[in-house]
Amino acid sequence: MSITYDLIKSTSKELYERSLKSVPEDTIEALQKSLATETNEIAKENLKMMLKSVKTAEQGGCFLCADSGIPQYLVKMGTRLSIEGDIKKAITDGFDELVKTINPPILEHVTNPLTLERSYKGKDVPIVDFDLIYDADYMELICSPKGLGSGQWADLHIFSFPPLETIEQYIMECVMRAGSQHCPPVIIGIGIGGTFDYAAKMAKEALLRPLGTQNPDPFLAQMEERLLKNVNETGIGAMGTGGDTTALAVHINYSAGHGFTPVAVCFNCWINRRMSAKVFNDGSIEYF
Amino acid sequence: MNEQNTVKLPLTKDRVRNLKIGDIVYLDGEIVITAGLPTFKRIADFIKNGEQLPIDLNNAALLHLVSYNREINGKFEILYLNPTTSTRFNDYMPTIIKTFHLCAVGGKGGLGMESVKAMREAGCVYLSFLGAGSPFLSLSIREVMSVSWNDLIAQYRLVKLRVEGLGPAIVSIDSHGNSLYENVMLNAEKNFTRIIDNLNPKIRRLEDVRLRNSP
Repeated sequence: MSITYDLIKSTSKELYERSLKSVPEDTIEALQKSLATETNEIAKENLKMMLKSVKTAEQGGCFLCADSGIPQYLVKMGTRLSIEGDIKKAITDGFDELVKTINPPILEHVTNPLTLERSYKGKDVPIVDFDLIYDADYMELICSPKGLGSGQWADLHIFSFPPLETIEQYIMECVMRAGSQHCPPVIIGIGIGGTFDYAAKMAKEALLRPLGTQNPDPFLAQMEERLLKNVNETGIGAMGTGGDTTALAVHINYSAGHGFTPVAVCFNCWINRRMSAKVFNDGSIEYF
Repeated sequence: MNEQNTVKLPLTKDRVRNLKIGDIVYLDGEIVITAGLPTFKRIADFIKNGEQLPIDLNNAALLHLVSYNREINGKFEILYLNPTTSTRFNDYMPTIIKTFHLCAVGGKGGLGMESVKAMREAGCVYLSFLGAGSPFLSLSIREVMSVSWNDLIAQYRLVKLRVEGLGPAIVSIDSHGNSLYENVMLNAEKNFTRIIDNLNPKIRRLEDVRLRNSP
């Protein structure tokens, strides 16, 4: 059996809709945990509002945020996968179908960077990246649309033989620059090393890691813990009006590189848009 | 909803002066909303040319809220609204606040210090709404009064509507020059210096590291 064009189209559309109307379970749990320990009264109110917003969206089938973001997908293909049809076209057509049929309708956010004109379509949109999963008979479809509120604060800098302290200082500077603006508490994804493009890819993938999971590399696990503590010690807090939780997690990926060391930092806002599905050769789908 | 916290729009200047940072309020009355950078540029051009805006902004509550609005059978409806990042409009807001003596502005993330000064002069507060608070904020929509500048895409249009119980909204900048955001970031800067010193006492800020302040 093979995975069909129609199945990829409908699954990518479904993932997008889920990302607009719900928040991942691990993120809701992390927000609840933050509320339980929060000491700042305004931050408590903001965290309560967040949980109320999630619940109201769930009950009413409405969007959490009016910014439906730039559509972006990561497709991880099993090497034993059998596919009929054009995957990129299926995802593009899935987004077109979403624009036509989703209730409520989404706003025009796809922007031509040269003219600043906005519509529902644009060159290379949806943005789709591909990767491989060795020996798997399924594909993973990951939808992570990025809105302006958190998207505009990502940053990348290239250092030359930086000591670790310099890297950590830079990450903290990115946090300070975003300040109150990126709808905290955020998830922070960091990519260190490799090349310009690969560091950004690693940072994005770090964002996708489930909350509460330990980094398998003990060195990075310690670094994540230290950075999370430092980010929260800034006191910027929920929605940036002060409080104990500025970030729910810091996730780091690294790769070896040359002496020039790119460091990429990106943020997901508190609704942490990332929805995934496994699509199997036999046509079954598992959302996770 | 706590009825004691309900404020009627437009706010009287007395009511404005009584509001302080950290207060939580719910809004009843008419608001004007838009989320478009081209819209603010156009408002600024109208002011410069002495032209009259399609919506009277005098003493109004002008909020940085996105809305999905559409015309059905000659009548506009709004399906949902949500705050957007106010600092994007930092360049335009001081003049607009002062020209129209706005009673309230708002959105999320606050405004720069030039706007804080303008708000003190005009008697105006900044109200913060929850980013991604659309599900409950949208429940307050009661009536669409007018939609102007329909040549622009939906979220850029200038929309006047009547709301009931729009909130919770946090007073984050008051009319006495106090900004919750400024206080938080000044405190964060102090903490930042301590955090960096603790990373490694021998390392000081390196010139090749970009230090850019948040707007």
